[in-house]
Amino acid sequence: MSDLLAAAAAALGTPEALVKRSAEARASASGMTVDEVLAAWAGGGSVAGPAPGSAAVADEPATSGEASPAAVEPETPPVVIESPPVAPAAPPPPRSGPAPAGKPPVLVGEPDRPMTVLAGVVGLFVAVLLVGLVGPSIAGENPGARTSAISYSEAGLRGKDIYENLGCGSCHTQMVRPVVSDVGLGAVTLNDTNQVLGARRFGPDLSDVGTRLTDSQIEAIIIGLGDHPGAVLSSSDLDDLVAYLLESTTTAPGQGASPAEETTAETTDGGALP
Amino acid sequence: MATRQQADIRAFLGGGADEDRIAAAHFLVGAMFLVLGGLLEVLALFAMRFGGLSPMSLGRLEPMANLTLMIGFLVISLLGGVYYVLPRLTGAPLRSVAMARGGLVLLVALVLAGLGAMALGFGDGLQPLGLPWWLDLPLLLALSLPALNTMATIARREEKRTYVTLWFVMGGVTWLPLLFAAHIVGTLPFADSLTQTYSGLFFSAGFVTMWVFTVGTGLFYYTLVKETDVALASRQLAVAGFWSLGFAAVWWGVAQLVFGPGPGWVDAVAAALGLAFPIGALANASNVSLTLQGHWDRVADRPGVSSGVVGTFFGVVVAAMASLASFRAVGSVTALTSFWEAIEYACLLGVGPLLVAGVSFDALPRVTGRAMQSTDRARSFLRLTVIGVGGVLVTMGGAGIVSGYSWLAGSNSAAYVNAGDGWAAGASAADSLLLIAFAFAIIAFLGQLAYASAVIGTVTSGRAVPQEVLVYGADGKQGTWLVTVGDNPDE
Repeated sequence: MSDLLAAAAAALGTPEALVKRSAEARASASGMTVDEVLAAWAGGGSVAGPAPGSAAVADEPATSGEASPAAVEPETPPVVIESPPVAPAAPPPPRSGPAPAGKPPVLVGEPDRPMTVLAGVVGLFVAVLLVGLVGPSIAGENPGARTSAISYSEAGLRGKDIYENLGCGSCHTQMVRPVVSDVGLGAVTLNDTNQVLGARRFGPDLSDVGTRLTDSQIEAIIIGLGDHPGAVLSSSDLDDLVAYLLESTTTAPGQGASPAEETTAETTDGGALP
Repeated sequence: MATRQQADIRAFLGGGADEDRIAAAHFLVGAMFLVLGGLLEVLALFAMRFGGLSPMSLGRLEPMANLTLMIGFLVISLLGGVYYVLPRLTGAPLRSVAMARGGLVLLVALVLAGLGAMALGFGDGLQPLGLPWWLDLPLLLALSLPALNTMATIARREEKRTYVTLWFVMGGVTWLPLLFAAHIVGTLPFADSLTQTYSGLFFSAGFVTMWVFTVGTGLFYYTLVKETDVALASRQLAVAGFWSLGFAAVWWGVAQLVFGPGPGWVDAVAAALGLAFPIGALANASNVSLTLQGHWDRVADRPGVSSGVVGTFFGVVVAAMASLASFRAVGSVTALTSFWEAIEYACLLGVGPLLVAGVSFDALPRVTGRAMQSTDRARSFLRLTVIGVGGVLVTMGGAGIVSGYSWLAGSNSAAYVNAGDGWAAGASAADSLLLIAFAFAIIAFLGQLAYASAVIGTVTSGRAVPQEVLVYGADGKQGTWLVTVGDNPDE
C-alpha cells in the first residue's frame, strides 16, 4: 500500500497523508478497497464518487472556475473538476458543522474584478491619509503673535526623551485647549508646540507645570508621592526629567501670552469657545 | 488516554491541507495572546484606578497590552480566518504556505520582543504600540506578507465569482500595512509633536475600523452562511458596509484631539465624515439580521454564529458612541477622558474577540477534524464578554463623562484650576466608577480565559468529527476541491 500511496501522491501532487485519508474515505463510500482507489489514482484514473450534490460538498462554495452557483442554477452540480480525487462526505459535525446537506450552496459570488476593488481600496486610503493625517499635521498659518515652541536646554531635551520613554504621555497631556475646563492651565497650545501632547488626561495637564510646582515638588511626585506611580530613575535621569518639566512653562516671559490674553487672541482669531 | 491525545495532536499537526494547519496555528497562537493581553489590560486598569504598579506604570502597561491584543491577538487570529477562507473562496491554493508560516513566526517573535523591550524601558512611549524604532520596520514587513500572499492567491483564483468576504479580506490586508507605514512615518524623530499625536490616533482608529471591523465582519459573512445554510440577504448592503468602514476609518481617531492645536476644520470634518462608522456597522448588522430573518433558531446552538452576531451588534453600539463623541459639543465633555479609553477597550476586547470567535469557532472543527471540546466554554466566553466588556464600556465611559463634567463644573468657579486640588476633586468623582470598571474587566478576563480554553481544548482533545479537507488538482491549476472526511479512528 505504501508504494501505491507514494505513487498516487506523486501523481496527484498531494501530500501522502492527505491522499491516504481521501482514499480511505473514497473507498468507504464506493465499496472499493483502499488499494484499488490508490491504484486508480496512481494510474491517473478516477473512481466513481457519490451522486453529485448529494453530500456535504454541495454545501461548499462553488470553487471551480467552471462551477455555476447553484443558487442560480440549482440543478447543476456545484463542483466540477475532472481529475482530483473526491472523497464522499461523512455526516456533518453535529453542532458546529454545516446545516443539513442537499441544499444548494449559499456562498454565491458575483463576477467582478478584484484588482479594481484593490485600486479603490488603495485610493480610499490615500484620500483618508491626506485628509486625516497629512492635512492636520501641516502647520497652519502662524498668526505671529507668539509661539508654543519651547527652547529646551540639553538637559530638558534629554528629559523629554525620558518623559516619552516612560510613557508619561499615556496619562498626562501637555496641551491647553481653548475650552472652559482648561482655563488657568496656561497659554493655549498652538500647532508649533514641541511638547508631548498626549491624548488622555488620567493625570493633570503638565504643559505649564513649571509655573505651579517647584523642582523638589515635581521630583517628589515622580518618585512616587501620593497615587503617582514611582518611576525608577537614576539621579541624572531624574534631574533631566525635572528639567524638562520645569522648562515646560508656556507662560514664561517672551514665550507665551497670559491665559487671559490668549483667550482674547483666540476669540478674535475665530477660535471656538464652548 | 494521554497516549491517544498525543496521537491526536500529532495527527492534527501532520494532517490536513497546509492552509488549514496554518489557520489552526494562527487561531491557537492568537488565543494565547488574548489571555496575555487581557491580563495586561486588567493590570492597566488597576494602574489607572490605583495609580500604578511601580515600575510598571500605566504608561508602560497600556502599550504592552495594546501590542499584545492588536498584533498578537487580533492580527494573528484574523489572519487565521483569512487563510481559512482564501482557498475556499478562490479555488486556488494559498500562494505561499511558507510565507504564511514565516509571517506567523515573525509576528510572534516581534510581539514578544516588543513586550520585552517595553518592559525593560526601551519602548518609545508613543501610543498605541510604543515599539522601539528598530522593531517598526520588521513589523511592517510582517504585516505586509499577508497582503502579498492574499493578493497573489487571488490573482491565481479559479473561482471567478467574488463572494463579499473577499472584498473585506482584500481591503483589510491591504489597509493594515499601509496604516502602519503611515504611523511609522508620523512618529519619526523629525515629525513634530502634533504629527506624532495625530499619527497614533490615526493608526488606533484605522486599525479598529479597517482591520478589526472590516476583516472580522467579512469573515463572519462567510461563516454565517455556511453555518446556517442561509444565503446572505444583500450583497449591496455588504458592499455599502465595506466602503463605509473604509471611509470612516480614522475620523474617530483624530476627533479625540478636538479643540486641540490642530486646525479647526479637522474637528468639523471628523464629526461629519465619522458618521460613516456607525453607518457601516449598521449596514453590516442589518445584513446579518436580514439574513437570519426566520432562521434565528439556527443561532442558539452554534456558538460561532452567536458570537459573531453579538459582535456585529456590539460594533454598532461602539461605533455610535465613537461617532457621537466626535462632535464638538460632546467632545467638550468627553475629550481626553476615559470615555475614549472605554471605546478602545470595547473594540479590542469586545467586538474584536467576538468577531474572531465568529470565525474560529466555525473554522476549527473544519480544519482540525475536531468538534468544539466544550460548547459550554464557548457560551461562557460569549456571556462573560458581553457582561464584562459591556460593563467596562458603561462604567469607564461613565467615568469619562463624570470627569469631563467635573472639569467643566469646576471651571465655573473663578478660583478653579484643573490642577492640584482642583484636579484631585475632579478625579475623585470618577474613582468609584473606575473601580467598578476594574471589576468588570476581571469578568471580561474570565471570558477571555474561556475562549482560549475552548480553542486550545478543541485542538488538543476535541472529539473527532468529519474534517473538511482541501484537495488540490494534480497540476495545481484545477482548483481546490472541498471534501469532508471522517478519518479519525475515534469515530
